[in-house]
Amino acid sequence: MATVKLENIYKSFGETEVLFDINLEINDKEFVVFVGPSGCGKTTLLRIISGLEEVTSGSVVIDDKDVSNAPPVERGISMVFQSYALYPHLSVFENIAFPLRVAKVSEKELEEKVFKAADILQLRDRLDFKPGQLSGGQRQRVAIGRSIVRDPKVFLFDEPLSNLDAALRGDMRVELAKLHQNLKTTMIYVTHDQIEAMTMADKIVVLHDGVIEQVGSPMDLYHNPKTKFVAGFIGHPNMNFLKTSDTDIKQKKLSANIGDFTLDLAVDVSDIKAGDEVDIGIRPEDLVVSSNKGGAPMTVDVVEHIGATVILYGTVLGNSDFCAVLPSDSVVKPGDTVNLTLDPFKCHAFDSSGQALLKS
Amino acid sequence: MMDKYSLLQKIGIYTSIALFITFMLLPFVEMFIASLRPLTHLFSRPEVPVGETMSFVDFMSRFWSDKMSFQAYRDMWVTVPQLPRYIFNSVFLATSVTFISLCFVIPAAYAYARFSFKGKSVSLTLFLAVNMFTGAVLLIPLYKLLRMYGLLNTYWAMIIPGVAFLIPQGIWLLKTFLEKIPYELEEAAFVDGASRLYTLRRVILPLAVPGLIVVGIAIFIGAYAQQFLFAITFNQNRDYMPLPAGIFEFIGYQTVLWNEMMAASLVGVLPVLFIFLFMQKHLIAGLTSGAVKE
Repeated sequence: MATVKLENIYKSFGETEVLFDINLEINDKEFVVFVGPSGCGKTTLLRIISGLEEVTSGSVVIDDKDVSNAPPVERGISMVFQSYALYPHLSVFENIAFPLRVAKVSEKELEEKVFKAADILQLRDRLDFKPGQLSGGQRQRVAIGRSIVRDPKVFLFDEPLSNLDAALRGDMRVELAKLHQNLKTTMIYVTHDQIEAMTMADKIVVLHDGVIEQVGSPMDLYHNPKTKFVAGFIGHPNMNFLKTSDTDIKQKKLSANIGDFTLDLAVDVSDIKAGDEVDIGIRPEDLVVSSNKGGAPMTVDVVEHIGATVILYGTVLGNSDFCAVLPSDSVVKPGDTVNLTLDPFKCHAFDSSGQALLKS
Repeated sequence: MMDKYSLLQKIGIYTSIALFITFMLLPFVEMFIASLRPLTHLFSRPEVPVGETMSFVDFMSRFWSDKMSFQAYRDMWVTVPQLPRYIFNSVFLATSVTFISLCFVIPAAYAYARFSFKGKSVSLTLFLAVNMFTGAVLLIPLYKLLRMYGLLNTYWAMIIPGVAFLIPQGIWLLKTFLEKIPYELEEAAFVDGASRLYTLRRVILPLAVPGLIVVGIAIFIGAYAQQFLFAITFNQNRDYMPLPAGIFEFIGYQTVLWNEMMAASLVGVLPVLFIFLFMQKHLIAGLTSGAVKE
């Protein structure tokens, strides 16, 4: 049982302010992912929860207890570092046992707990090794072992997979998800990789320039991004944005002109007026190639075959970085022109300040 | 690995190294040859009549002759019966200075490597400045101090100034070693509830062993080299004299027993040499491999 509550957290390093008014509630047993580009403050926020960094103002509440000024060990947290931070001179056994030795746990209990953790992480036959003799994935598991051995209330992960190669990262993602199911504890995970966020999180917190942009379930963020930043950050390949040349409002519907092409969108138009500049967001996977005329023509520059899908990069209505994802059986060559259409209901629209216009 | 140097470059590199090493080692060779010669032959050289060239045998006899022997290595113990004591004193003084210095250097270097505090860079610079003074400049004030505390003519008279002069160098050296130990290791230990001292003892110091050995050796060399000055100024007790001062006894009223003096000097260096050979094994690189992903 562990909830984490962040209340009005501000953090600055000298003159540089890195976090502004962070408010967040994390429920018991929840897997929460902080995601955002580098420098957005996500690691700082995690370090504030861990107690490695002090808040400038605001409070960290774990299990209804204000721990803003408590040292890490009194917060009931444990942390896995990006660089693993294993003790190179100690064996795997001693690495995992380190927190228990600090806590002066009896030898018998210590052995029991280390073996249990080693079994969960399949490290039983590696206990006598030194970290230098292990592969990247095994080192990562030792680091996780060291964090679970103390039965913490909250696990903190600071980009734990960013040093692994792509295949191993996929495996470890699954292992971490399983670990979460087994341990049933609250986990907070920091990453810059939105795929990790999408695949593992119960709840994603998108951070941008020190503020929380949006909090929600992965699919909620994918389908209903509240800002242009979230829309562009979540989803792969990234969402396409088209600037409108002119807008009009007809029967409470937004009529957006892009060049000589018009899209009618069913969005809330109460805050905008005709002529306002609007960004239209289109997910590459929502596009369909149509054989009859009427769609927007795309001049294809690059074609990527990745097996399940075909990704096209090219120019649409004067926008050169346009991307479309098609089924794998599509036959398209660079230099071709294809006609793209889409369901206008799947389009996203953002006002000039980057706020999404809600779908009506 | 690719061969980075051309043949010509290699020849150049090895010639330079050979020259350098020769330059460094020549005094030792000269010492060794001098120690082998009988005293009467020490200053003799084959005379070459004008107009004649020296024969090869004559030339070589400058370096080697039948009359050479290890006699001086036997005689020196008789000439200066205290010699073993002097050698022991030298090693004892240098070892004490090294250990006492390390006791001060380790916590200080750790603090300089990890904490930020007021006057950090100023005090570090001051430490360097202390190194610029040679002990000789401070001999008189030091003498007064030591007399005040009644430490003249004791081992402490040579140990305390030795420690004081070597701490700055030790701090600077060890600080750079400690800075290379990833900070995350300490954070990880901190998250697990370990105190600073526990972390220092169980995490930092074991990882700093190569650095500690380098610093230890540097201090030891420094202590060995500087003890002469302190010994002849602050100590009159022959029982406490280190070797460099004890060697003076080979200078008699009538003659200077150069060959025995050279022999004693070489023998005096031996313990240090052994310590180095033994320590070198521990100077292995890569002790921190696997700590963090670089």
